[in-house]
Amino acid sequence: MLIPRRVKHRKQHHPKRRGAAKGGTELAFGQFGIQAVTPAYVTNRQIESARIAITRHIRRGGKVWINIYPDRPLTKKPAETRMGSGKGSPEWWIANVHPGRVMFELSYPNEKIAREALTRAAHKLPMKCRIVRREDGES
Amino acid sequence: MSEIRIAAESRTEFGKGAARRARRAGFVPGVVYGHGHTPVHLNLPSHDLMMALKTPNALLVVPIEGKDEYVLPKAVQREAIKRSIEHVDLLLVKRGEKVTVEIPVHAEGELAPGGNLLEHALNALPIEAEATHLPESVTVSVEGLEAGASITAGDIALPAGVTLAVEADVVVLQVIGAQAPEATEEEAETEGEAAEGEEAAVEA
Repeated sequence: MLIPRRVKHRKQHHPKRRGAAKGGTELAFGQFGIQAVTPAYVTNRQIESARIAITRHIRRGGKVWINIYPDRPLTKKPAETRMGSGKGSPEWWIANVHPGRVMFELSYPNEKIAREALTRAAHKLPMKCRIVRREDGES
Repeated sequence: MSEIRIAAESRTEFGKGAARRARRAGFVPGVVYGHGHTPVHLNLPSHDLMMALKTPNALLVVPIEGKDEYVLPKAVQREAIKRSIEHVDLLLVKRGEKVTVEIPVHAEGELAPGGNLLEHALNALPIEAEATHLPESVTVSVEGLEAGASITAGDIALPAGVTLAVEADVVVLQVIGAQAPEATEEEAETEGEAAEGEEAAVEA
């Protein structure tokens, strides 16, 4: 599972969710990809789950790229605790994904199977997604 | 490649407000530069431009200060979700001038059997060619290529008058050998149990 080895600050503020992705909106490596259409926090567990969904469906002969990294900690206070007495403990690692971001990319010779694999992965993700395909030569 | 004529209008108002007004009216703000000229700002009809830019390195003809000029798309900004064109940079070119552009590489043929994967190390090949005679794409045969084989830029046959703008030994396509499929959950569990059993045996 993806997790940062070392962080400067163990507890951070919640990342901003407004606006569209500023970069990473095009396919950079593979022929197909999953693009976020709505914003969401994606946890490292969801990323791993989506990766497994893809690799188990394509079985062999493909290559997967993960373009997001869960580098933001989210904290949670224990249940039935009174307010105050400091910030809770880190509970999740999340990637802050804005609309337009291509999160996963896949190279696979068969388009039908590639789309099926990405659809399965998209079901593991917490936002509305769409599958994008490399358009040859589009300027 | 045939040229595409676009009826552009000169743009006199600038900034995000003006750009948004232009987009609402069905235009795309653009700029034309090159050859040491001062940049010229234009409004281009969005649908015509979108159709023209479906062709890689489309040679466009736009009226600039009452004179038709050849331009090539240099940079296209698109909206992240809708993929509509937000702004376009156009490079002024002259007939016979050599320009460096990137053209898509198409692979044809079947790889050697064995579930190998063809990877595009370079999705677009940088070439130098006459601005008015740019090839749309290059096609490379990958028939029967085995795992580990690669095609370098120097191996690709280019049309007459076209030269490479990268080193000839740059890998463009490579064939990656099939990897073993990832273990399914049941298999992983079985393996895990077996490993635990071994550990227990060692402890005992």
